[in-house]
Amino acid sequence: MSDQKNPYGPGTTGHVWDENLAEATNPPPKWWMIGLHASWILVLLYTLVYPSWPWFGGAFKGVMGWTSIGEYKQDLAAINEVRGKYENQLPGKSAAAILADSELNEYVQRSAKVLFGENCAACHGSGGAGNPGFPVLADDEWLYGGEIDKITQSITAGRQGMMPARGGASLTEAEVDELARAVAATDPTSSPLFTGKGTCFACHGQDGKGTPAMGAPDLTDRIWRFGNGSFEEVKYTILHGVNDSNDANSRNAEMPSWQQRLSETEIKKLAVYVHQFGGGR
Amino acid sequence: MEAQVEQKYDFEVVRWFTIMSVVYLVVGTLLGVYIASELAWPFLNFDTAELSFGRLRPLHTNAVVFAFGGCALMATGFYTVQRTGGTSLFSNALAWFTFWGWNLIILLAVITLPLGMTQAKEYAELEWPVDILIAVVWLAFGLNFFMTVAKRKTSHIYVSNWFFMGMIVMITYLHVVNSLAIPVSLTQSYSVFSGVQDAMIQWWWGHNAVGFYLTAGFLGIMYYFVPKQAGRPIFSYRLSVIHFWALMFGYVWLGAHHLQYTALPDWTGSLGAAVSLAMIIPSWGGAINGMMTLSGAWDKLRNDYILRFLIMSLAFYAMSTFEGPVMSAKTVNALSHYTDWTVGHVHSGALGWVAMVAAGALYHMIEKLWNTRMYSPALVNLHFWLATIGAVVYITAMWVSGIMQGLMWRDYDEFGTLTYTFAESVAAMHPYYAMRAVGGMIFWSGGAVMLYNMVMTIRQAMAERVTAANAAATA
Repeated sequence: MSDQKNPYGPGTTGHVWDENLAEATNPPPKWWMIGLHASWILVLLYTLVYPSWPWFGGAFKGVMGWTSIGEYKQDLAAINEVRGKYENQLPGKSAAAILADSELNEYVQRSAKVLFGENCAACHGSGGAGNPGFPVLADDEWLYGGEIDKITQSITAGRQGMMPARGGASLTEAEVDELARAVAATDPTSSPLFTGKGTCFACHGQDGKGTPAMGAPDLTDRIWRFGNGSFEEVKYTILHGVNDSNDANSRNAEMPSWQQRLSETEIKKLAVYVHQFGGGR
Repeated sequence: MEAQVEQKYDFEVVRWFTIMSVVYLVVGTLLGVYIASELAWPFLNFDTAELSFGRLRPLHTNAVVFAFGGCALMATGFYTVQRTGGTSLFSNALAWFTFWGWNLIILLAVITLPLGMTQAKEYAELEWPVDILIAVVWLAFGLNFFMTVAKRKTSHIYVSNWFFMGMIVMITYLHVVNSLAIPVSLTQSYSVFSGVQDAMIQWWWGHNAVGFYLTAGFLGIMYYFVPKQAGRPIFSYRLSVIHFWALMFGYVWLGAHHLQYTALPDWTGSLGAAVSLAMIIPSWGGAINGMMTLSGAWDKLRNDYILRFLIMSLAFYAMSTFEGPVMSAKTVNALSHYTDWTVGHVHSGALGWVAMVAAGALYHMIEKLWNTRMYSPALVNLHFWLATIGAVVYITAMWVSGIMQGLMWRDYDEFGTLTYTFAESVAAMHPYYAMRAVGGMIFWSGGAVMLYNMVMTIRQAMAERVTAANAAATA
C-alpha cells in the first residue's frame, strides 16, 4: 500500500496522462477475485436449476423442472383448496339461499370485497357510500327495490333510468319553476301540475312516493338521486329529464349490465354483498 | 498558461455543454418534482392533457437522461478525451454540430411529448424523425471521440476512454435496433417488432440505456475525475481491465429480467437474472477502484466538497448495483415488479450515482474551464447535503411504498380471497408519494444552488479576466 502514495514512483504502470493521471499496479482485492469466480459459478448453478440455455428445438429445462406457469398453477391450486369448500356450494344455491346460510354469507362478504372494489366502487364508492350522480347502496332507499332478487337483477341486466324533459309535456319555464319548488320542498303534490299537466304521477305515484318497478324515486324523502335537492338541481332535472335522447343536457343514469363481464356466481356474491351493506330488504 | 491550454484544447464547446447540463439538471428534476406531486395531489393535472402525468413523465425522463445526462456525458467526454490524449478534438466543428443537434433534439422532445406524440417505448418515446436525428448526432459525437482518441499524443488509451467508447458503440446499435419502425406519418410510426419480441427488444434497450449510457459512460467520468480531484493514481489497473470487460460482456444480457413472469419464455428470464446477479461483483469493481483510489488520502474528504460528491456517488452506485440484481431474481421480482420499489431503485442510481458523479465532475470542470475557483465552496457543500438527503428521502419513501404495495397485492385472507382492493393499495401509498415529492424537491433545490453557484463563478471569472487585462494594459 505504501508505494502507491507516490503517483509517479514504482507501483504504477508507468503511464501518465494529463500531467498526473496514473494507474497503480495493486492487484484487485482477494475477496473481489473470489467473488468474481463465484459469480460465473453462480451463473452455471442458476442456469442449471432454472430453464436456461437455448438450443435447437427448445431450451434446457433446468433440473428442478420449474416453470413460471407451473408456479402460478401451484399457487392457484393452494388458494382454490381453501376456497373450494365454499365455492363449490355457490353455483347450486340462489342468492337468497346464500344470504340465509351464515357460513357461506361470511365467505361471500370476504371474497366479494375485492370484487366490489374492482368493479362497483368506481361509481358507487367503497362500501357503497355513493358518489355525486351515483346512488348510495348502503341505505334502505332503493330505486329498483332492495330485495335480493331485485339486486341480482339490477347487476345482471343493468338499469336504465328514464324521465322525459319537462315531463314529456311542454311545461313552461314558470311551470317548471313551480314544480321544482314543490319537489325541493319534498311536497310534490302541493302543486296541481304534479298530477295534472306535468303527468309526474304516472311514474312517481299519486302520492309522490315513487314506483320501484319503474325505477322512479320517492320524492317525499330527503334522499336525492341527482344533486343535493336544491331548487336549481331539481329544476335542472325536470327541465332536461333523465336519459332523454332528445335533450343533449339530460341527466345520465345508467347502470351497465354485468352478465357479459362477471360470472353468475360472481353476480350472486355481489348481490349478497350489496344486500348486507345495511339496506337490503 | 491559460492561453496555452486554450490553444491546445477545444474548450468552448465543452463550456457550453457544461452550462447546458446544469440547466437541464434543474429543469429535468423540476419536472420530476411536478409529476411526483401530481401523483400525490392529482388536482395538479388541472384537467389539461398536456400537463397530465402520462405526457410529462416521458418529458421528465428524457430531460434528465438525455438532456442532462447527455450534455454531462458530452461535456466530460470531450473534455477528458482531449486531456488524456494531450490533443485537441478531431473536429471542433463536428463538436459544435453535436452541441446544436443534441439541443435541437431536446427542443423537439419538449414540443412533441406534451402533445402526446410518442412511440410508447419507455426511454425511447421520441418519434422516428427525432430518432434518426439522435442517431446522426450520436454518431457525430462518436466519430469525433474515436478520431480524437486515434490522434492522441499519449501511447496508451486511458481507462475512462474505454468506457466512453464502449458506451458509444453499444448505444449506437441499441438505439438503432430498438427504434426500427415503419412510419405512417411524420408524427406516427409502428415498431417493426411485435408481441413479446417487441417487449424483449424494448427492455434490451431499456436496461442497457441504464447499463451503458448511465453506467459505462458515467464510469468513464468517474475514472477521470476521481483520481484527478484526489490527485492519486487509480487504485488498480488490473481491476479496471477485468471489470471493464465483465461489464461490457455481461450487461447486454440483463434486459430479460424486466419481463419475468410474462409471455417471455422462462429460459430467457433465467439467463437475464443469472447474469444480473453475476454483475454485482464487476459493478463493485468500479466502485472499489474509485474508492480505494482515496486510500491514504481519506482526509481530503474533510474539505474537498467536490470529492465528496464523487465518493458519495460511488457509495450509491455500489448500493444500487447490489439492489438491482437482487430484484431481478425471480422470487424477489415476483414481489417487486410493477411496484414503486422499481422507481426507488432507478432513482437510487439516477439521483445517487449519475447526478452526483456528474455534479462532482461538472464542478471540477467549471473551475478548470473558467480557470477560477468556485464562487462559493460553502454552496457546493450545501448542494452535496441537499442532494444526499433528497436522494435518501426519495429512495426510502419508495422502498416502503413499493414493498407495501407488493405485499398488499398478494395478500390473501384465511378464506383464500384477496385482502385488499387495488384502490386500498393506492390510498396506502399516499403518504409515501407526498414524502417522495418532498425528497425530490430537496434534491432539486440542490441543483438550483449549483446553477446559481455556476453562474456566479462564471461571472467572477469574467470579472477576473477584465481586471487582468486592464492590469496588463496599464503595465
